[in-house]
Amino acid sequence: MEDPLAAIKVTFFQECEEQLAELESGLLAMESNVADSETVNAVFRAVHSMKGGAGIFAMDALVRFAHIFETSLDKVRSGVLSATPPVVAVFLRAADLLADLVRAAREDSAVDEARIAALGVEFERIDHLDGAPEAAHVVPASECSAGDGGGQSGGVSTWNIVFTPDQALYAKANETALLLRELHRLGEVEVELDESGLPELQDMDPEGAYLTWRVTLRGECGEEDIRDVFEFVQEDCHLEISKAEPYGFDPGTVITGDNGFKFEFFAPIVEEPEEEDRKAEVKSEANVQAAVERPDPAAPAAAGAPPPQSKTVQAIAAKTEAASSVGATIRVDLDRVDRMIDLVGELVINEAMLSQRVLEAGIARSSGVAMALEELENLTREIQDSVMAIRAQPVRSVFQRMPRLVREVAAMTGKQVRLVTEGEATEVDKTVIERIADPLTHMIRNAIDHGLESTDRRIAEGKPAEGTVRLTALHRSGRIVLEVSDDGGGINRPRVRQKAIERGLISPDAQLTDEEVDNLIFLPGFSTAEQLSDISGRGVGMDVVRQSIQALGGRISISSRPGKGSTFSLSLPLTLAVLDGMVVSVQGHTLIIPLGVIVETLKPRREDVFPLDGDLNVLKLRGGYVPIVDVALCLGYGAQHSDPAQSVALLVEGEGGARAVLLVDAIHGQKQVVIKSLEANYRAVRGIAAATVMGDGRVALILDVDAMVQNTATDARRDLAESRQLEASAGER
Amino acid sequence: MSDAIDLPPVLDLVAAPGLLESFVQRRGDRLCIDASRVQRLGAQCLQILLAARNAWAEDGNALDIQNPSEDFTASLELLGTSVGGLTNGTQKASGETDR
Repeated sequence: MEDPLAAIKVTFFQECEEQLAELESGLLAMESNVADSETVNAVFRAVHSMKGGAGIFAMDALVRFAHIFETSLDKVRSGVLSATPPVVAVFLRAADLLADLVRAAREDSAVDEARIAALGVEFERIDHLDGAPEAAHVVPASECSAGDGGGQSGGVSTWNIVFTPDQALYAKANETALLLRELHRLGEVEVELDESGLPELQDMDPEGAYLTWRVTLRGECGEEDIRDVFEFVQEDCHLEISKAEPYGFDPGTVITGDNGFKFEFFAPIVEEPEEEDRKAEVKSEANVQAAVERPDPAAPAAAGAPPPQSKTVQAIAAKTEAASSVGATIRVDLDRVDRMIDLVGELVINEAMLSQRVLEAGIARSSGVAMALEELENLTREIQDSVMAIRAQPVRSVFQRMPRLVREVAAMTGKQVRLVTEGEATEVDKTVIERIADPLTHMIRNAIDHGLESTDRRIAEGKPAEGTVRLTALHRSGRIVLEVSDDGGGINRPRVRQKAIERGLISPDAQLTDEEVDNLIFLPGFSTAEQLSDISGRGVGMDVVRQSIQALGGRISISSRPGKGSTFSLSLPLTLAVLDGMVVSVQGHTLIIPLGVIVETLKPRREDVFPLDGDLNVLKLRGGYVPIVDVALCLGYGAQHSDPAQSVALLVEGEGGARAVLLVDAIHGQKQVVIKSLEANYRAVRGIAAATVMGDGRVALILDVDAMVQNTATDARRDLAESRQLEASAGER
Repeated sequence: MSDAIDLPPVLDLVAAPGLLESFVQRRGDRLCIDASRVQRLGAQCLQILLAARNAWAEDGNALDIQNPSEDFTASLELLGTSVGGLTNGTQKASGETDR
């Protein structure tokens, strides 16, 4: 039997992620003193909502800790506690713990009680710091906070709660038992079940709602605390909360004095509430009556009017209105979006094929068919862009994980670090986002662990004690560029060089430029740390970072200045589904070269080509020499161009700035192509990044330019037959 | 003649229609409810149990609950009633007497 709560739980965890993100960004704003009162409110709400949701699912540890956290936040909100740096520091750590508790709840794993207790002590400490009159204390589950409305001011209050769920409450997988359990957290609870609305067995709707609960709650809590319990069901129930008169005696009590005087206590005169809704008044009266009658449970209870039929309608209307006023969003399974992207890709290919057929049929460009096709083409492109936009997400979700990482790494290394992030709103395809998190994490760890100097050394060098790590994102020429920079000591080139020699990565007499030395850190197995630290050295180095970036069609580069710091730049495609490419032909084969890597195209002059040993030629270009890669030879389509002047040259730039000139037969123009993975449909082929389907239905291979640039002729030849075979087998669509 | 119902472990919204049906089918006989496996009891199944209690009392048939599990007893308590409250069909709850 499927648990209806399970689906709600999934949504709850999704919302937790959003609320944790909101919490983190709000706290960071508080940390950098740019928070206004709304930020503090948003932070409070985030914790509060998580607490409420967790309560429904009886996630005790989460609820308890969120409560402690919320109590302190509420003090900041109400001005009792000021958000000084030590206070915000505790909040940030609390946010980290809260995130862990959410994860523990999701994975159903154990929670670190010691950490909860330690932070509880921290919360007490910050309360004392500020000289607050009452220290927040780790409240046992059965107590609740002071501070929310209701005027309880620390004392025990008695509340009367009348709760009548609507059918809709159960239909949405809410459960009275869970709500009542939540009330138990707030204090001592007496529950009285009113089954007066129960129909005959045979008349029952099994999914109907016929019961009412009257709850007497005694505890140090306010009306707000009680309303919070019902926060998620308030539109699907009838709820009355009233405070029982805390003073005096029960109505009807008679006290006889020593002198024979008698005092009789009457029920308090309750002022009519100023509600226009007559029904509300009726219920209110019923509630008062119920409260008065409580001492005698045998007395007939005043039956509350059944909830009005229109309530659900009103609730739906209110929800719709709220949704339209606050930027409506829906959650969609990623699979569905991906399926749509696939289909749109097919549509683009089909549209191109149709255009080709029209062209072949000799239909004039000015004809109605051709013009309609052009419109179709524009429309298809728009659809494609829109679908891609669905997958695009701001990099914020990844950036938000970093402050915590920085705090942890800073604590482990004993360095003072400030993380500055810029461009969180920059959007990129979801797949790219998911896959940049690990490389970025590693680079930030490196920046703190290896990049920044120790605090003592920074002070000795006249730098601020606190190091800065900057994480930025921006769009540049159709790609996203992510930069991780630090203001540390820069790459220690003599040491890097020395290590590379020790590890046999370069020969001792190798002449390397500064840039080439910097790039040595990307070599597999390279590590300059004297000791493998817990943080960055686990045998997984920058080579893995580079590999994963390259796998995404991205590039990574370094610029470093001794004493000033280093900057690592990642340049990534915005999407992995389409690619802007240059269509070229080589020996009758159509190939695509990613536009992003092409620096310029030129027609080589015979006198500028100089042969080196073997097949290798170089091209003299503006006073320098660039190696020539003959694509036909490289892919095994045929012999080397006998006369380079008869071909077209494309100057391309590979990883780390390595340049080469690719020789092809002709250029046919630029085209956006739908990327079809070779790995998924066939298998990885060296020199080929992916494939696409052209308008004529033929498969065109997309060149892996980096491999081309780095490839030696021998390596390429080994893969020749393979790529040829691949094209032959793909055939006509 | 006596019949028996073995309550499932989870008595939630999903279980309610089946539970109601099983009571409707057994109407007219003495009934024994085994609550030993119950782990969770929701309000909607509770109201069916209450309506069944009333129906059996009205028919003058006995309705017993056997081996209530701890979870079952605790759930009933949480919801403001007890195992006894489900079986003493002749002693109706406060509001019921005036209906």
